[in-house]
Amino acid sequence: MIYLIDHEDSFTYNLAHLLDSIEPTFVSNYYDINTVKLEKSSTIVLSPGPGEPKDYPKTTKIYKKYKGKKKILGICLGFQQIVYSEGAKITQQKNILHGYQSYIKIINHKSIFKNNSEFLAGRYHSLKMAEPFNSKSMHITMRCKKTNVAMAVEDDINQVYGFQFHPDSFLTPNGKNLIKKIISR
Amino acid sequence: MLNNNEYLNKLYRSDQPLIIYKNSNGFDVYTDFSKKYLINKKNIKNFLNIQTKKKKSNSNSLNCYVGFFGYKLLCENIGIKFPKQKTNNFYNGIFYQPLTKVRIRKNISIQSLKNNFRNIKIDNKKYSVLNKKFDLNLSLQQYSKLFDDFSKNIKQGKTYQIKIAQTYSKKGKVNAVELFWKLMKMNKSPESFLIRDKNYSIISCSPETLILKKKNLIKTKPIAGTLRKTKSLNKNKALSFFRKNEKETKEHNMIVDMERNDLSKICKTGSVKIEKLKRVEEYRDLFHYVSTIKGLIKKNITNHEIISSLMPGGSVIGCPKISTIQLLNNKEKNDRNIYTGSFGVIHSNGDMRFNIMIRTLLNFKNNINLSVASGVILGSTAKKEYNENYIKAKSLLELFH
Repeated sequence: MIYLIDHEDSFTYNLAHLLDSIEPTFVSNYYDINTVKLEKSSTIVLSPGPGEPKDYPKTTKIYKKYKGKKKILGICLGFQQIVYSEGAKITQQKNILHGYQSYIKIINHKSIFKNNSEFLAGRYHSLKMAEPFNSKSMHITMRCKKTNVAMAVEDDINQVYGFQFHPDSFLTPNGKNLIKKIISR
Repeated sequence: MLNNNEYLNKLYRSDQPLIIYKNSNGFDVYTDFSKKYLINKKNIKNFLNIQTKKKKSNSNSLNCYVGFFGYKLLCENIGIKFPKQKTNNFYNGIFYQPLTKVRIRKNISIQSLKNNFRNIKIDNKKYSVLNKKFDLNLSLQQYSKLFDDFSKNIKQGKTYQIKIAQTYSKKGKVNAVELFWKLMKMNKSPESFLIRDKNYSIISCSPETLILKKKNLIKTKPIAGTLRKTKSLNKNKALSFFRKNEKETKEHNMIVDMERNDLSKICKTGSVKIEKLKRVEEYRDLFHYVSTIKGLIKKNITNHEIISSLMPGGSVIGCPKISTIQLLNNKEKNDRNIYTGSFGVIHSNGDMRFNIMIRTLLNFKNNINLSVASGVILGSTAKKEYNENYIKAKSLLELFH
């Protein structure tokens, strides 16, 4: 079972349908966690949402508790929550991209996805991860083709994955396959 | 005995409460209300799940409830608390159960459960509307200040898009039926309606369908994107404008994903699909950019759950819904009243049709008011959005010329 933590976003249920079509998915609000179900789940997914990681200390706690024990996937705010927990700073980006479609490139041979390939993705973010980002096991694996902003991190040893873009958006035609690859890993 | 046409004309000239709702074939007129339900946050769930599910019947039957939910009620229904706002204490929501339904198509047909329904009296009430301009609650300067504040919120990631509402108002009491038909000659929008009750009336040329539910199929048709009409523009040129315009495209994309989300809450996994993406619809003063999204409702989902996941409609608030409503509530000094609430019909078999109450005029306590809103999105300017609001209000304001 997948446990999807909702940060009161208006895109969470798009993600829930994507996940649920791969594996049964349970959704709850970030302030209303069902600890029994969370414990039983095999994968925890951190949803997109408004604000920034420091607004959601409960989610940071959950991430730290289960990292390395369960598979964790973060989308948009969820991506930022992962890298924030790993010590990264979150800053405002120059161009604010809400409802924007752009090309994303896989730039790291450590990625579980095919290196150097490109795909179109939908983006909803005004904030980004500040760089340089240093981590032993977590790697930046995708970037925006145009601006070079980090778009994905992967830590395949601990099975932690994060996407800054929205695989759940209709603007990401290949979104389901990206998620499928992570869930079936 | 009066023929159908004479009856209808007499009904219009009476003071009997009535509702007119446009549909794709013509208009439906509802009257002879046997019951009136005042809806509030405590009884809304009960009303939707018990009251409106008493009998089995098909959509053509008289067994239905027609009315509206105000904006505040819809927000409270999803657990949002309001600060103190200026209000005229209008109803939170009202639904009527009709005994008589008149279908205006090529011919007029009537269905009634009331004996002698043709017995009505003409009313000689006087109406008066001062020949004065409408007052606007926000100046460009005040609007710009809000615009800047919300732009900051967008940069901080607290909201991705937010819509500022403005209200036009003036004193007077209107002849609602006359005004409604005048409006229908000028601007026959697909979700137009009229409610005339003893102490208030609502006149609308709403273009936006929020819920179309038949059995387990549900559709929503969000609008995001407005272009002022000019002589040189046609539908094709409007389409290419929208396609090339990054701001309109982004705004629309966001609303499509948001409505997909709201439907996904109540629909079967994998059943939510975009039926029509980014079409242009033409109206009297403007072009709109519209999409249609549909899904199949999960088993055991109640009408209250459907209303709670779709309302208040996202396209007129911004995104994400909850945090954006909270930001709006802290800044909007006047309550939105009926504006961005929903009007529609619930059939006793559970089928529903609801719009979003935009381009809608409320006449209550000798006051006529009308609100419009447009989006703060980075890349736009306060002045442009302020002007867009005027275009949206125009066809209703011109009713009084």
